[in-house]
Order: sequence, then structure tokens, then C-alpha cells
Amino acid sequence: MGTDAHKEGFWKRVLWATLPLLVWIAHFAFNYGLAAAQCTPAGMRPGGPDRLLLAAATLAAFSICALLVWRACHVLRRDGRATGLASHAALLMAVLALIAIAWGGMPLLLVAGCA
Amino acid sequence: MTTTSTPKPTRNAAPRPDGELEKLEAVWRTQSGWRFFSSVNNTNIGLLYIATALLFFVLAGVLGLLIRLQLAVPDNHLLGAETYNQVFTMHGTVMMFLFAIPVVEAIGVYLLPNMLGARDLPFPRLSAYAYWAYAFGGLAFFCTLFVGLAPDGGWFMYPPLTGTRYSPGLNADFWLLGIGFIEISAIAGAIELIVGILFTRAPGMTLGRMPVYAWAMLVVALMIVFAFPAVIAGTALLELERAFDWPFFIAERGGDPLLWQHLFWFFGHPEVYIIFLPAAGMVSTMIPTIAGTKLVGRRAIIAALLGVSVFSFGLWAHHMFTAGLGVLEMSFVSAASMAVAVPTAIQVFGWIATLWKGKVTWNAPTLFLLGFMFIFVLGGLTGVMVAVIPFDWQVHDTYFIVAHFHYVLIGGMVFPVFAAMYYWLPLVNGNRLSEAWARWVFGLMFAGFNIAFFPMHITGLLGMPRRVYTYASEMGWDGLNLLSTVGAFMFALGVVLFAIDAFRTLRRPERAVGNPWNAATLEWLPSEDYGNRSIVRVASNNPLWDQPELAREVEEGRHYLPHTATGRRETIATSPIAAEPRYLLVLPGDSWLPLIGAFGTSAFFLLLTVKLYPLAWLCAALAVGSVLAWTWGADRPPPEEQVEAAAGEYLPVGARGAASHSWWATIIMLVVDASIFASFAFAYVHVSMRLMVCPPPGAELPPLAQALTSCGLLVLGSGLVWLAKRGLDKKGHARRLPWLVLAALACALASFALDLQGWRAGLAPSETAWAAAVAALASYQGLHIVLLLILAPYLALRAWRGLLGRRSRATLDNIALVWHYTTLQGIAAVAVVRLMPLLME
Repeated sequence: MGTDAHKEGFWKRVLWATLPLLVWIAHFAFNYGLAAAQCTPAGMRPGGPDRLLLAAATLAAFSICALLVWRACHVLRRDGRATGLASHAALLMAVLALIAIAWGGMPLLLVAGCA
Repeated sequence: MTTTSTPKPTRNAAPRPDGELEKLEAVWRTQSGWRFFSSVNNTNIGLLYIATALLFFVLAGVLGLLIRLQLAVPDNHLLGAETYNQVFTMHGTVMMFLFAIPVVEAIGVYLLPNMLGARDLPFPRLSAYAYWAYAFGGLAFFCTLFVGLAPDGGWFMYPPLTGTRYSPGLNADFWLLGIGFIEISAIAGAIELIVGILFTRAPGMTLGRMPVYAWAMLVVALMIVFAFPAVIAGTALLELERAFDWPFFIAERGGDPLLWQHLFWFFGHPEVYIIFLPAAGMVSTMIPTIAGTKLVGRRAIIAALLGVSVFSFGLWAHHMFTAGLGVLEMSFVSAASMAVAVPTAIQVFGWIATLWKGKVTWNAPTLFLLGFMFIFVLGGLTGVMVAVIPFDWQVHDTYFIVAHFHYVLIGGMVFPVFAAMYYWLPLVNGNRLSEAWARWVFGLMFAGFNIAFFPMHITGLLGMPRRVYTYASEMGWDGLNLLSTVGAFMFALGVVLFAIDAFRTLRRPERAVGNPWNAATLEWLPSEDYGNRSIVRVASNNPLWDQPELAREVEEGRHYLPHTATGRRETIATSPIAAEPRYLLVLPGDSWLPLIGAFGTSAFFLLLTVKLYPLAWLCAALAVGSVLAWTWGADRPPPEEQVEAAAGEYLPVGARGAASHSWWATIIMLVVDASIFASFAFAYVHVSMRLMVCPPPGAELPPLAQALTSCGLLVLGSGLVWLAKRGLDKKGHARRLPWLVLAALACALASFALDLQGWRAGLAPSETAWAAAVAALASYQGLHIVLLLILAPYLALRAWRGLLGRRSRATLDNIALVWHYTTLQGIAAVAVVRLMPLLME
């Protein structure tokens, strides 16, 4: 089955379809982790978490997902009616991740400090 | 993953040869009398599993009624405060751990093989072991209530309340060891489901054609793999604190009670979706049938399932909004909590659109599905409300939250499960539950639920806290509480009516199942103990609608495997995307060993809790012995190289290495293992980040050279195992293998001895949480060394007995994986422990 998975491009397809969600995970983990670390005794930063760095991470994640939306639209247009579940799922997941990253970045505009 | 293709013609000639069906029946026959309990096939285990989960639903429901009786009137003393604490803790714990999670897995075990066109799940004995472990462990755990030893710290067991200072008895230990152990059974089920769904689908059932329910179960099983390790690690840490005074959660010694909350809710929030998504999958399967049309937005719904599952891992901290986290962290979690509503809504709109588009048949499943949508949407809306931090601060730990999560859990899971029982119960003996009674059952449950739980929103807003055993009349909560109690009893009456109807329906004479709802999925094909007479080739998303001759063809044996090709139980293993047949998977038959192993395992954990150590270790030996005995009979050379699966189509028997299903199961198990390790590593990082100096004063790491030597020994051991494998690959015999494996074991033992000596010199785990966290990582590595200590002689013995060869090498491949993982884990532990102080310098 391992060889079958390889022949069918299983991991490649799974990766392309779920990449937007993986980007969301990476973005969320980075932002939460940095904000938490910079509010602990060991990593305390005067003025609270580094919002510039957090915003940069958010912008990067947003850009990647926007690119993935564009790619998924391109694949759907190119393949027309022959497209399968993976292509449709890739588009929807990219849109979901885009919304979640944009919405998740909003607190950076509104909240500062640790307390 | 395309959804349409020209079906390959069916191949087998009919009628089939005389005696073929009789042989198939004989191989799969369920034994009668008390031998029934040695059965391992998914239908029998699935039914036992569902029945046991429903028993726990009733038992926990009775506890819920006791809670409502106690709160019906102010200043009530029906239950004392201590008993009340045990009752509400057990109500939540049993509902979540012994009913909700098991019942969704149980329905999966029962339904999935038939829905996917397989004869059984790929590891039937593992299913049986998981079930019996759950049944024995769960029943013993519940019985603690009758001797006053039930846990009483709430279903999420927050320390410091559950530490030895405030909970000195055995009550908390029963929760920690009992539930930790039952979760292992849930993980075993998840591994079974992932491998089963990906690799045993009927030929032609591509991932794109796979039923949405199977998608939901695949997603949920993957969620279990990543979510459950956090709580397993958490329960281990709390039990270590209680047993050995390792202060992970004691602030005065550098610990942090919030560490528990992080670990618990990193499991606990995804768990809500682990419960909801299977129900959503059932809904997506039932709604097209009752509407008589295809599911609208099928692909979007599948993508939404994946979206919900991933987002759900970012929501854990919304249970901790009042715990003093940083505002920015909380805001990120709040945003994620709102974002998860988007994919959830996609599913709800898909269901509404399907109902809109089709012609709805009004029957019992329809009623419960509509009830589900009404209640679940309300629960979802209050969920968005409590995701708003200032609102959560107001209602946290009030009855508003109790109302919210009952709307989500009962609406999102219990109502769909009841719809599912009305829908799928005819599979058991061909009889449907009464439609007339169903209207009463639904009416009582729906009205009772809303009368019980809607007022709780208001009692919560009026300030009534959770978990108070009584209240004074002047608080003004009397009327609302009485109303809730009336509603709870109405709901219970509905459940009682259902139970009576189910009992009399199951006692009716068996009749042909047919396809009573005109459903599109394969579980409605004619089926016996062996599953379908022949394994179908699927050509569409809705096979029973688009291939009307399928049932007849299957019964005539025209599709795959209309017989037993090797004289044993078998199913077809297929490729993960296109589901093309790859090999014949020979399955094990009935056995008492899973039951005995499960008994030994659960007895070990329970006896350990009550400190009967010699007896506990005896039971552990029984468990290990049973599992080894059951694996000893497996992994033998296949009786034939290849067999004819359909006319002119030959398949090899069994597979090796990465092509085998057991290799994949081992990989998934190791992912679980790595996730548990990651949770321990997180605990270490968390307590380190609370320090100003790392290591803290009084603690010291062993010299770097010693740590590197230990890592070197692990690598050497792995190298020897690799050599042993290579020898078998190249020469085809295993003469040198036992000595190489035993030498590898010596390396692993030496490595751990070095670690122990190093830690002993500079670490006192009971003095600081930091030292305790390092000791936890070392202990986890030690557990793996103990595992190798069992596996290495076992492997050597198999080699000496001539049971290892090119065609019977799964044991070697899988043990090698475990070995290499242990090496990597040991190196990772050293890296994490060493890097943290460097980062903090």
C-alpha cells in the first residue's frame, strides 16, 4: 500500500489539498506561541508581544493562502469538468484558511500588551 | 479522485459452484452460546460496543436525573454535597468518555465495513481488544460510585483541586488511571478505522466516491490520533504528581495548574468535534435518503469536515478565558472560535439545501434530524456568544455554559445518534422501530430537552453557578430549576419509550433486511456474518441508486471474492485513492485472547489504583502474555502465493513492508506515541518558561559527553536492527538476526542506564517542576526501553523457531519501526532538554 500510495500520488494530493490548513496551523501556532512566550517570566518583552513580527507572520500566511486560492482556481479552470474532489477541496480549504487568517489577524489591530 | 467512470464489467459466472457459499458461511459463522464472546467480527463487536455505550448513556442519564432532582427545589438535601460532587463528576465523565466517544466509534465499527464493501475491519482482534478493555474498565470505573470512591473533582479534573492536598483519597486516581486507560482503547479503535477506511474499500470506491460518513470517521480518527495524546500525557503527569510528589502543577515548586488546563483542553475541545463530526457524517448520509436526492454541496461538505477538524485544534484556550492568559493569545483563540463557525455552517446549509431540493419523507429519522438541526444551531449560536471574551467572562462557570454545551452535545450528537438508530436498526434483524411510538419518543425528547435546558440560559444569566449542590430560595432561581427538572424527566421518559420499543423490535423474528429507506449506500446490500456474498465493484457516489442490479449481482456472487480463496477469513486490500485491488488480506478468526488481554489490562490499571501491586503486575503479565500469544499465531507465510479474486483476476496473498496494512497501523501508532512525547516536551517547555534561570538552582544536567554517548548507543542499536533486516532481505534467512537484535537491546539498555545514572546525580524530581518534567521525559523513554526488552527476545524467539522469512516478516518490519522511533525519541529528548536552557541564556 505504501507503494500504491506513492504511485497514486497520495501524499502529493493530500498535501496540495490540505496545504492551506497547514499554513493556518503554522500561522496560529507561531502567533499564539510568540504572544505567549513574550508574556512569560523567561521571555517577557517590555510593551508586550512584538506585534510587528506577528503582523508580518499574518501577512505572509495570508499571502500564501491567497496564492493557493489563485492556484486552486487555475487548476479548476484548466481541468474543467474533469476535476475531482481534491481540486475542489483545495479551493474551499484555501478560502477557509484565508478567512481564518484574516480574521485571526484582526486582534493585532486592536489589542496590545500582556495583561 | 474523479466521481464518474465507466464501471468494469462484473466477471464471475453464475450460478456459483456447489458448496462455495457453505464454505464461506462456515469460515465466518458466529459461534453460539457463551462462545459468542470470543467473536471478533465487526458486526458482533460493533453491536456489543453500541449496546455497552448505550448502557453507559442510561447510567449517566440516571445520574443527570439525580442532579435535576437535587436542584428541583431550593435548600434541598436529597444528596449531600460530597455525593453531589461525585454524581456530577461521574455524569460528565461517563457521558463524555464512556458514552459519547465510544458510541461514535462503535457505530463506525459496526457500519463501516459494510458501507465500504469490506468483509471486516483489517484488525478484528484489535477491535475486540479495544471493546473489551472499554467494557471491563468502564464498568469497574462506574462501580466506584457505589463504594464512595468515584472521582469528585469535575469531569475536567482541574488541579490543584485534584492534587493530593485537596483530594487525598483514591477518587481522583480512579479517574486518572481509569480514563487514561480507556483512551488507549479509543486510540486502538482509531487506528483500526484509519487503516480500514483508507485500504479496505470496495474496488472502484475512490476517495471521491467514498460515503461522507466514512470521510467523517476518517477525519475523526485522525483527530483522535492527535488530540488524545495530550490528555494521556496530562493524566500521566497528574498521576505522577499524586503518586511520587513530582510537582508539575504545584506553583510553589515551579509547577503551573494551567499546564493541566492546556493539556486537557487541547484534547477536550477537539473532542467536542470528535463527537460531533461522526454525527454530522451520519446526517449527511441520512438526509439524501429521506429527501430522495443527492447531497447538495457534497465536495464542499467533505472539505468543511477537514476544515472543522483542523480549526478545532486552535480553540482549546477558549475554555481558559478566565484563567489569566495574555489578552492577545485569548484574542487569537477567540477569533479561531468564531472562524470554526464558517465550515460548520457550510455543512448546515448543505443539509438544508438537500432537504429543500428533494421531497422529504416524514418518518422517525426525519424528525430526529430536524430536531438536531434546530437544537444544534441554537447551541452553535451560543457558542459564538461565548467565544466573545467579555461575554464569556460574565457567564463562565454559570448555567449558561451548562445550557450551551448540552445544546451542542445533545443536539449535535444525541439526536443524530437516535436518528441513526431508527435508520440503521433494521440492519440488525430486518425490523423497523415503530413509527407511531417514534412520534412520542421524539416529542418527549425534543420538548423535554428544550424545557430542561433552555431555562438554564436564563438561570445562568441570573448568576447561578455550575456545580453548586443547592441554592437559597431568595436567589430567584426556583421556578426555572423546577422547570428544568420537569423537562429532564420528560426527556428521560422519551428514552425509556425508545428502549422498550427497541427491546421488542429486536426480539421479533428475523426477516429480510432489504433497503427499507431506498438508501444509496452499500450497507443496505444483502449481508450475513461474512458481509456481502461478493465484494462489489463500485462505479458511482450513490451505488445503490445508480447501479440498480447491484444487490442481485452481489447475491449471485458475480463480483469479487464470492468464496473463501484460502479457506480463511479474507477481505480485499485496495489502493488508497483509486481503490484498485492490491492483495488479499487474510484476517484472523475468533479468539478468547483479546478478551483475556483486555481483562488483564483493565485489572492491572484498577489494581494499581487500589495499590494491590503484586496482583496488578500479575494481571499485567496476563495482558502481555495474551497479546504475545495472539501475535505469535499471526504473520505466518500465506498458504498460497496468489488467488483468483474474480474470474481471470488474480491477487497476491498478503503484502510486506510499506505495502502491508500492519506497517501503516504501526506508523499511526508511532504518530500517537510521538504526540504523547510532544505533550511531555510541551510540559517541559511550559515549566521552563516560568523560570528566570534554567536549570533552576539545585538542579543540574548530566555532562554533555554522557548524553551524547547515550544517543550514540541508541543509534548503534538501531544500526544493528537495520543490519538484521538487511540480512533477511538479502539472504532470505534469519540466522544472524537474533544475535544482532539482542546486541541492539544491550545497546538500548546501556543507553538508558547511562541516562539514569546522569539524571540521578543532578536531578530531584520532587523538588522542582522543571526536574520533574525532565524526569517525565526520561521515564517515557524508559517505558520504550521496557517495550524493547519485551520485543527483542520475542523477535529472537520467532527467528529461532523459523517464523521469520521473506514472506512472513511483518513482525520484524514493525518492531524495527518501533526501534528506530525509540532511537529518535531518545535523541529528541536530549535535544529538547539541552536546548531550552541555551535558548533562555
